[in-house]
Amino acid sequence: MTDLPTSPFPALLVGLPILVATLSLFFRPRGKAVVGLMGCLLTGGLGLIALVEVMQQGTVIHILGGWDPPLGILLRMDSLAAVFIGMTAVVGVFISLYAWWFFRAREATNGGFPLFWPLWLFLWAGLNGLFLSNDLFNLFVTIEVIGMSAVALAVLSGKTAAQIAGLRYLLAAITGSMAYLFGVALIYGSTGTLDLGLLRQVLEPGATTTFALLVITLGLMIKMAGFPFHFWLPPAHSSALAPVSALLSALVVKGAFYILLRLWMEVFGVSITFSAGQLIGLAGAIAVIWGSWQAFMQTSLKLIVAHSSVAQLGYLLMIFPLLILAPGVAAGSADWLSPAWTAGVYQVMAHAFAKASFFLSAGIIIMALGHDHKGSLRDLASRMPMTVMAIGIAGVSLIGLPPSGGFFAKWMLLKGIFLSGQWWWAPVVLAGSFLTAGYVFMLLRLAFATAREKEPFRPVPKGLEVCALLLALGSFLIVLPAEYLIQFLESSEAFGSGIQSIMEGGTYGND
Amino acid sequence: METYQIYILTSAVLFVIGMGGVFMARHFIKKIIATIIMGGGVFLCFVSFAQRDALTFADPVPHALVITGIVVAVASAAFALALARRIYQLTGEESFTNDK
Amino acid sequence: MSVLIDLLLAILTVYLALQCLLAQRLSQSVFLFFAFGLALALAWVRLGAVDVAITEAAIAAGFMGVLFLDALRDFSPAVSENQEDLKAVQNPPSKNATKSLLLPRLALGLGLGLFLLIALEAVWKTPDGGGLTAAAVALLPESGVEHPVTAVLLNFRAYDTWLEIGVILLGLLAIYAAGGINLYRKPGVAAKDPLLRQVILFSTPVLFLFGAFLLYFGKTGPGGAFQAAVLWGAIGIMLHLGGWPVFAVLPRWLGQLILTLGLGFFLVLGFLFMARGDALFEYPPAYAGILILIVETLAAISIAAALTTIYANINQMQEEPKQNESTT
Repeated sequence: MTDLPTSPFPALLVGLPILVATLSLFFRPRGKAVVGLMGCLLTGGLGLIALVEVMQQGTVIHILGGWDPPLGILLRMDSLAAVFIGMTAVVGVFISLYAWWFFRAREATNGGFPLFWPLWLFLWAGLNGLFLSNDLFNLFVTIEVIGMSAVALAVLSGKTAAQIAGLRYLLAAITGSMAYLFGVALIYGSTGTLDLGLLRQVLEPGATTTFALLVITLGLMIKMAGFPFHFWLPPAHSSALAPVSALLSALVVKGAFYILLRLWMEVFGVSITFSAGQLIGLAGAIAVIWGSWQAFMQTSLKLIVAHSSVAQLGYLLMIFPLLILAPGVAAGSADWLSPAWTAGVYQVMAHAFAKASFFLSAGIIIMALGHDHKGSLRDLASRMPMTVMAIGIAGVSLIGLPPSGGFFAKWMLLKGIFLSGQWWWAPVVLAGSFLTAGYVFMLLRLAFATAREKEPFRPVPKGLEVCALLLALGSFLIVLPAEYLIQFLESSEAFGSGIQSIMEGGTYGND
Repeated sequence: METYQIYILTSAVLFVIGMGGVFMARHFIKKIIATIIMGGGVFLCFVSFAQRDALTFADPVPHALVITGIVVAVASAAFALALARRIYQLTGEESFTNDK
Repeated sequence: MSVLIDLLLAILTVYLALQCLLAQRLSQSVFLFFAFGLALALAWVRLGAVDVAITEAAIAAGFMGVLFLDALRDFSPAVSENQEDLKAVQNPPSKNATKSLLLPRLALGLGLGLFLLIALEAVWKTPDGGGLTAAAVALLPESGVEHPVTAVLLNFRAYDTWLEIGVILLGLLAIYAAGGINLYRKPGVAAKDPLLRQVILFSTPVLFLFGAFLLYFGKTGPGGAFQAAVLWGAIGIMLHLGGWPVFAVLPRWLGQLILTLGLGFFLVLGFLFMARGDALFEYPPAYAGILILIVETLAAISIAAALTTIYANINQMQEEPKQNESTT
């Protein structure tokens, strides 16, 4: 563990955004926005540089305080963490630029929400910290940083609906993190360590480990709005300001998924049963169908997009049953694991780009028309071609049509499903795509329909439309380096230990 | 029965009471109190483990974790309280109307 | 004998927690919450965790309790109106309770019962050894402090503690966001009660000295930045109540500086040593003791300021006029 190369990047990725956030507090509202934007660009650049560094050097670590685990905390940046940090950097920079123009445009009416910038920088630091963390308790602190800044951003608009949704979100988030922490306490009690790498070696199956896994999974499911804990997500995401909605759905919910993936692959190999995986898969499948159906039934654009998040997160849950083989099925090779693993990471990236773009487009439409009832989309194609194009492209990726990132993710998911012999998940994936196609094409049809009466229309800064379009294109561009990226991701420690668990036999797939 | 075992059982009971409270209590304030009770259970669990193998002093790591945890939990509870009061001011409501 | 005390204390804690959630009136809940916090603090003294006990009594029961008490001013009149409604929820068999509400609640109750059983089995089966005591003992001499909990908090796991100081500042920002109020609004002035002011004037230096004592002796015994911060924060809150809003008289930049000093200095110090080639938050053993004391002091000042400001902001929510809904 400690013979890996040391790098200052992990520490900078967490420290710098918080330093800038703290500095920005000293400025007046205008200055806050300038300092905040600079900080965002800096953090984004740093994230990309760190990604390149990991591509060249392999996994790098940073031993905080110079104390080795188990007593100290280790930051570890492997390929999985690097990809997530890189994704956050790209999506984050575009959303920051959008936010800059978005708040500038409404500065006169409501002060331009200067608190957005320090809160967003705290959120960014929390996300980076989460991806880098290699310590169960430190993960708790980072999810709390993320949770609090996310809720604070969600209620920033000051609307009553946002505040009620925000309180519900906050209570769900606190409950989730406390459940997670209870599991951490039990694991510390039975092993005496919090470091993921050491835990993998010393954790033994038993009643305590199983229960710890149960509460940790439960807590993280609440945090990532997995069915049946999705109730807080649609109101919170749809009532927030447009750039905030994009941040919440593109990045924040992925944090909990990341921990869950890491823990299941890397740490809990010894105690996961086939039925536990199936249960999570079932929750995911219900979320896919239910969320898509709800999205189809909504009448306002932001609610459609928010319910669609529930469905898209369901796909993420569906990769968990694929990590475990049915009892009795021998694991000759780990062929099926690679597609399932790739599907998870690609679904995260495709959804982050597409959903961010979708919410940003919704924000543009609200800004232009003053509301987002879906009927108002009529004739939008002639007035805002760029935004309609962004919605179309992002929608295609959400449906999963080739050659989008969403298609690649769903293709890999199906491949994993058939290779692992769990064919019963396949119809869900297809049904989800059909339902998604239903609401995306409904929106597009409206946009190209002719309007009966012209609604008042305010011009929107071009920069906003460009940001939304570029993000939508991003959900296609991520497919280009797929081959390289798959190899890169398979060098990650989490994947390696997942494979190892299977090859050692008896650890995965026992029931 | 060892001392720590009494408290470790208590911790599980407190955790479940708090969890039930979050879901079943209606008033905002009670929900917030329930999260703190839940947290109390978790922290009690940590500290009980610390006392298990005390040498000249108890295991300091869980103590430090719990101090960190209490402060974090209080910060989020204070935020929740601020939101709850704000909602009450704006709407006069003190519980979620369409309860999940 | 000692087992009996522990058993009684455990039962008392559970009883208070249950009563706190089941109480009919909100004020009862809040007072039972105080009692619960103190019972928990006693449990921690029994478990030899004096640091945790002080933190619990001061922050969880004390500070949070004060915030809840303050919230009662807002909520209490409405609760009595809702009494019928509340009763109906707590005793489902009454005629008000509808069947549709009863069934999910029953299922939830059964689920929780089952969950409790599994939880009890899980905690019971944990092994009776295996922590990091030995590791901490071995490295304690290099940490620069003598008290193991302080060593873990400010040296071995300094990163967590730094993030946690960040969480407090974040909590303050979040409350600003929730209130939808200006960042630099001056706190209002509370009623001037001459007796109250005398009491406050008398207790301010006492609390200050006690806080400083806790801070300084955190090096060798129980106590430290957080405990001291709460005592100093209490000074701020009392001064606010007595009609001396401390942060209103300070110039804005100074207030900001005090709030961010702990987090900022901690980080900048870490970056400075990082520039030298060490890891973040790595202190040279020779200077570790003094550096930790400075970091702790600044952190305590910042946390105290944050707690005072959080209180002042939540306290003022009532007086603030209803804002018109801002359009989005």
